[in-house]
Amino acid sequence: MDYISIFFQYVGQYLKTRLTYRADMVVEIFSDLLFQAVNLVFILVVFGHTSLLAGWSKDEMIFIYGFFLVPFSIFASFFNIWDFTDRYIVKGEMDRILTRPVHSLFQIVLERMELESLFGVITGLVVMFYAGSNLGLEVSWYDPFIFILLVIGGALVYAGIFISLATIGFWSDSRTDIMPMMYNIGNYGRYPVDIYNKVIKYVLTWILPFAFVGVYPSSYFLRREEWYTYAFLTPVVGLVFFLIAVTLWNVGVTKYRGAGN
Amino acid sequence: MQNIIDVQKLRKEFKSFSSRSGLKGAFRDLFTRNYTIKTAVDDISFTIKKGEMVGYIGENGAGKSTSIKMLTGILTPTDGKVVVNGMNPHKEREKFVKTIGVVFGQRSQLWWDIAVQESFRLLKKIYNVPDQQYEVHMKDVIETLDIGPLLDKPVRKLSLGQRMRCELAAALIHNPPLLFLDEPTIGLDVLVKLKIREFLKRINEKYGTTILLTTHDLSDIEALCERVVMLDEGKIIYDGPLKELRENWAEGKQIQFQFSEAAALEELQILTKEHLVVWEKGESDLIWVASVDSDETVISGVIGKVTAAKKIADLKILEISTEEIIRNIYVEGAVRHG
Repeated sequence: MDYISIFFQYVGQYLKTRLTYRADMVVEIFSDLLFQAVNLVFILVVFGHTSLLAGWSKDEMIFIYGFFLVPFSIFASFFNIWDFTDRYIVKGEMDRILTRPVHSLFQIVLERMELESLFGVITGLVVMFYAGSNLGLEVSWYDPFIFILLVIGGALVYAGIFISLATIGFWSDSRTDIMPMMYNIGNYGRYPVDIYNKVIKYVLTWILPFAFVGVYPSSYFLRREEWYTYAFLTPVVGLVFFLIAVTLWNVGVTKYRGAGN
Repeated sequence: MQNIIDVQKLRKEFKSFSSRSGLKGAFRDLFTRNYTIKTAVDDISFTIKKGEMVGYIGENGAGKSTSIKMLTGILTPTDGKVVVNGMNPHKEREKFVKTIGVVFGQRSQLWWDIAVQESFRLLKKIYNVPDQQYEVHMKDVIETLDIGPLLDKPVRKLSLGQRMRCELAAALIHNPPLLFLDEPTIGLDVLVKLKIREFLKRINEKYGTTILLTTHDLSDIEALCERVVMLDEGKIIYDGPLKELRENWAEGKQIQFQFSEAAALEELQILTKEHLVVWEKGESDLIWVASVDSDETVISGVIGKVTAAKKIADLKILEISTEEIIRNIYVEGAVRHG
């Protein structure tokens, strides 16, 4: 398909540009790694004081964190739309996007990708293998496929929420601080939801379904059968939220007012 | 000839929120908001045929950009009909934009960090242009615009004139039958401007490309367009040949005198009191400009009287420029038809 070949053309161009700025790339990967390490230390510190948290052990928590990193890194590589309003609406770059024969959202994904973030996938896998071997988890032949499916679902949940928020820019270009706040809320998804109260749990499942990025899909691999329904809902929730987001986007484009001049 | 652009009663309104003044006003704004509706484009209609080069002019805020953005599918019209290249630009955007080329003078189509030819390659992919067509067509474009030596430089290292030529080439990668140019010569020096005009004429002749051009630089329009569409406050106030505009407005001539010694207004007025003359002071006391009717007896009469009474160093007869005509039209707010 055309879109796939356009995608690879962009990736090729991206790598070429990035390789000429090698130092930048190393710094970026290093700061990502540091950020992930800090989060891991936080979990270790909490479990320095207790051995179980609402029935979840330290290694299980670490496993969930490792899993979370995978869809999150994929999201972070391809959906850098947190500054969409500033970059595309206020500065009028959307004009340029709209004069090209490719879906506008896809173009923005291509223009804003940051493939360095994919390094987080490796970190995530390493963390999962470490925690998984401590827990003595068994892996069947079909588990890698389920893993891929659940990861895609999780990444779509994230993408759906952030694209929906970005579309606000089509209606109002005033500054909001909603994006950084949402990144914070997103972090709650990597801890087991049953440590929160009911309202927060409900919100994280059905309204801002960040729980489908970390704890729900991980529970399948942790063989926590009471959560299996939620685990297998992950791709469905991801798809639904992503489709809602794309629909909102398409409506938003018709409301685009353009920048002055 | 078929219509490339067909616009009927096109209208665009923007709803904007006007804030009340003061802290009390800000609190009231939280609950009830005052909206004002501004009509940027007010029921305009026109058609453009294949192969035409049309100048689209108007002051800032006259609705030029807004109407161009509706014609290119960027904005959705509030009301009215737009058909461009047989399509509705907004409804079939992705298919439609393959048939147009767009250059916005103040906005770049090219990627800042990568070499010009890499930008071209990405655009070639985006527009899905076959290799063979690309080779033949782009070779010609690159040669005419003389950008061969710039192809391996990153865009950020190009001068404005170099960049603008590359932008133009980028807009033509898919050889579109219709080209929109919004201020393509803004900030460019005369040589680059000439080169760009020559190039536009050439593609218009060679491929029959229809061109719609907005610009503040009327010399662009004089050099390229036979027809102008003039907008004021969202309405079309003139649509017709540039020549007619000149004939109906440029009725007078100006005579510029440069005297060897300073002259005063009263003195000159007394000298030419038999004729209808408006005197204006030039750059110094030595230079005076007389605006008169385009009538031979008046012109020679004025020159005769003045040269008989005063020593002059230089004398010029000027036609009123298009720029002045346009300024006059905006001052009067309507176009006289002959």
